Amino acid sequence: MGDTAPFDEMYDADGTVREPYRALAQWIDEQPEKALSLMQADAEGIFRRLGITFAVYGSDEGTEKLIPFDVIPRIISATEWRRLSKGIEQRVRALNAFLYDVYHRQEILKAGRIPEKLIVNNAAFCPDMMGVDPAKGVYSHIIGVDIVRVGPDEFYVLEDNLRTPSGVSYMLEDREAMMQLAPDLFQRIKVAPVETYPENLRRTLESVAPANVAGTPTIVVLTPGIHNSAYFEHSFLADQMGAQLCEGQDLFVDGGKVYMRTTTGPERVDVIYRRIDDDFLDPLTFRPDSMLGVPGLFNAYRAGNVTLVNAPGTGIADDKAVYTYVPQIIEFYLGEKSILSNVPTYNCTDEDQRAYVLEHIGELVVKEVHGSGGYGMLVGPTSTKAQQAEFKKKIEARPDNYIVQPTLALSTCPTYVNSGIAPRHVDLRPYVLVGDKVRITPGGLTRVALTKGSLVVNSSQGGGTKDTWVLED
Amino acid sequence: MLGRTAQNLFWLSRYVERAENMARLLEVGYKMSLTSRREGGEAEHLISMMQAAEVDEAFEATGRIADVDTVAHFMVFDEGNPSSVKSCLMAARTNARSVRTAITIDMWQSLNAAWLEFSQIKPRDVRGAKLLGLLQWVRQRSHEFRGALLGTILRNDGYAFSQAGNFVERADNTARILDMKYFVLLPRADLVGGDLDIQQWTLILRAASAHRSYRHVYHDRYKARNIADFLILRPEMPRSLVFCARMLNQTLESLADIYGKRLDCHDVVADLCAMVENTTMDEVFGKGLHEFLTEFVARNNRVTECLSESYNFY
Amino acid sequence: MRIAIHHQLSITPPPETGNMVFQLLMTPRSGATQKVERWSVETTGIGNAARYADAFGNTVHFVNQMRPEGPVGITATGVVETSDRNGVLGKPTGEPVPGLYLRATTLTKVPVTLYGKFRGMKDDRIGLLHALMARVGEVLGGEEMQAGQLQSQDGQSQTQTVGEARKADAALLAHGFIGAARALDIPARYVSGYLLGDGEPPGLHGWAEAYDPGLGWIGFDPYLQICPSEQHVRLCVGLDALSTTPVRAVPDGNGVKTIAVSVEAA
Repeated sequence: MGDTAPFDEMYDADGTVREPYRALAQWIDEQPEKALSLMQADAEGIFRRLGITFAVYGSDEGTEKLIPFDVIPRIISATEWRRLSKGIEQRVRALNAFLYDVYHRQEILKAGRIPEKLIVNNAAFCPDMMGVDPAKGVYSHIIGVDIVRVGPDEFYVLEDNLRTPSGVSYMLEDREAMMQLAPDLFQRIKVAPVETYPENLRRTLESVAPANVAGTPTIVVLTPGIHNSAYFEHSFLADQMGAQLCEGQDLFVDGGKVYMRTTTGPERVDVIYRRIDDDFLDPLTFRPDSMLGVPGLFNAYRAGNVTLVNAPGTGIADDKAVYTYVPQIIEFYLGEKSILSNVPTYNCTDEDQRAYVLEHIGELVVKEVHGSGGYGMLVGPTSTKAQQAEFKKKIEARPDNYIVQPTLALSTCPTYVNSGIAPRHVDLRPYVLVGDKVRITPGGLTRVALTKGSLVVNSSQGGGTKDTWVLED
Repeated sequence: MLGRTAQNLFWLSRYVERAENMARLLEVGYKMSLTSRREGGEAEHLISMMQAAEVDEAFEATGRIADVDTVAHFMVFDEGNPSSVKSCLMAARTNARSVRTAITIDMWQSLNAAWLEFSQIKPRDVRGAKLLGLLQWVRQRSHEFRGALLGTILRNDGYAFSQAGNFVERADNTARILDMKYFVLLPRADLVGGDLDIQQWTLILRAASAHRSYRHVYHDRYKARNIADFLILRPEMPRSLVFCARMLNQTLESLADIYGKRLDCHDVVADLCAMVENTTMDEVFGKGLHEFLTEFVARNNRVTECLSESYNFY
Repeated sequence: MRIAIHHQLSITPPPETGNMVFQLLMTPRSGATQKVERWSVETTGIGNAARYADAFGNTVHFVNQMRPEGPVGITATGVVETSDRNGVLGKPTGEPVPGLYLRATTLTKVPVTLYGKFRGMKDDRIGLLHALMARVGEVLGGEEMQAGQLQSQDGQSQTQTVGEARKADAALLAHGFIGAARALDIPARYVSGYLLGDGEPPGLHGWAEAYDPGLGWIGFDPYLQICPSEQHVRLCVGLDALSTTPVRAVPDGNGVKTIAVSVEAA
């Protein structure tokens, strides 16, 4: 991971177009001058119409912005995808088994594979979940795995998002926009569909309804409300699934069961796809000052009368400190070697590793254990001496609060920018559904750092998105 | 449908209608103040207009002296006035956002565009002659929203709740406009039938966009009695009390059909209807116009209360 | 011995409450040291309650009342037969793994001075725990400690009875013991229950239990400086006094009030 040029998704080191991109490259060549810039302009208009709410909410309130969309798709071959999806499925199965275990017998702790205190003393560990038996044994039903690529066959998992991953609406809207912008491309290239996601989401949610539900379960999406930055996504998914979009005040618990208040009286609710964080779900069990949740919801859950998706307490499985143990977790529960690699991670509580980290901080990435969204992190190579000194102090003061990784040379993908087409760094977040079976949508959200050389793809920090194509055989 | 969704749809329509009506009221108040030839008459008209809108106390609390500029600002831009055009548009949009999945894209776009355009307007640019232009724009935007609603929304319970909100608000407003005339006249009973009186009645008609249709119905000069008849008892007049009450009744009946159940609100709205259907102008004036209107407004409010209880608004 | 218990509480919901939900941790379980002969929990709506075991193995009644009017009373009554086993409970099945009770909580934070000197005693866990019980009494109890003087730590917002004042002091000592044990990598948990007497007024009480890989769970009462005897009735267990609060309600108005507690030999 030195000075060599990063892996490019489209071009080999010698400049030849890689196989999966051949048809696209040819199509781009055939386009008259300015065609791409016109497409880029059209894309703006389409997004304003399609995803009208991306744009307009933000224009006066600053809560939601139109996230830039790049017209050049990111392509993954069928072979590459098969390997990726096998690896992803392996991970989500193992992590769900891990969740079941830490909230029951804790065999993995007894076996000494993970330090006991790292789990039970972790802020993300939810003691109230001990002994809960969720339907089908699934804790995390909706997962977005962050993957980066550094070479032709080298994929690393950066993070397993097992709480309430967002962004799936962008995956769907990006595809819809792309099909409007370049329908002829879809005639030439067979791309696996992502439009099945809402239907699969619905099936997944139905499959994990409490065992005592007769007939088709009633599903709702629980949102914190219109002021939440992902509100558009919540209403979009509810709409696409044909489920009610509820706020906490729309639900109540009576006789240990959950109901929604409808114009014709209470209606029983069986499955709640909640987009409210654990802490705010239920003021009786969690934060007493929460106005967003439903009093007694956790009790109804505990009594087995409703399914919460995802279950509370799944954060223990995507905790940054637990991340380093995922290969051991896979081996412990599945008896398999992990297919996808973890990014090598330094443990600062180990004296030798900490010494290395402090000496080489300028080459490394430092992340706060409980941080997210690109905040509370240091990217060594682009940081100032002052920032480095500050993080050194922080690490020395609380070594357990940080994980440190080498700076990965994220792959680049041709991207349409002001100066024309230029390589920009990308990552990938495929979406996984776990219920009666594991369903992985072929594709995902490709985030792209639009600033030249930047490795930060977060939309809050100047990242954009691309449509992500998985080729069919 | 969630009770909250029904409530949001009801209030969404009410607020759009109210924004339009506030613009109408201000237009009338403004024009009346221009016609005043007495010392202090300008403020008097503006204040009685605010009394009709039930925002006079809120205005007093601002500590400002009532003149065309301060009152126009208060009625259009003041967020402290819960009925100002701005507050109404904001409330309408917030309600719409909460029920984003229950309204159509056209409805959303119309409302959202109105809000975005409105928020670009700087209050200091809207004085004097520009004020009337802005008030017209508000009315047009309201018409556009209603058009989007009527043209695109499914005719289900959601439609019924929207319509109910629309007609409850419109009935309330027409009653208030009529009552404003009463307030204006009260201290100057000697003017009844005079030029000024006629002029004011004309403005009342204009406030209801009814000055031309009046001619079609009555083939007569403006007479107080006819005008009151037009705005209260004429079923063909789409802002009259009887029209609104009948529409409200029909709307609630359709809810009873959809849900297969009659509830308390159905009796209350039937009473409201009966109040304006089984009466004559003689009876209304005999009872006292103000008293009649006050009772109507109270019964109309009772419809909202009952609707909330019957369909679980919260 | 047979002990009869009567425990009465009340909650006054704020006016215009639409739905009050409350969970009751008011049902003791039979185990090595006690057998529940009969027990009943009464409150409005109890017939419609959801009943289940919580994360710590306690029996929970989850009750709600739509549009409650006035105070809601809750009464637990029953008879429990206890036996003296020097506090040894063994390794009951169906309970969460002891490792769970290594988790530190706000109430169980303790200074290193409380436990530091026991670090060398880890091989004699039973001896360590007894020494720790004595030490906690010395450091946190002190000679001047009198009923009710220590900061209320029992998670109840109102203390009214003599028994409750004692319970607050007992909770403080138990938390000290639990925090120290956990810091020494020994799983320890809080027990809320009733005390018959022993020179003390009968009523609510709280103590601790620590885990030994050989003997299983063992009770320690740092307030009385003994292992629990047949005078102790276990009601429920948890990470600390807060997680064993007998009644928790939303909205809880002015809090949960204890009306009466009686503990008598039956």
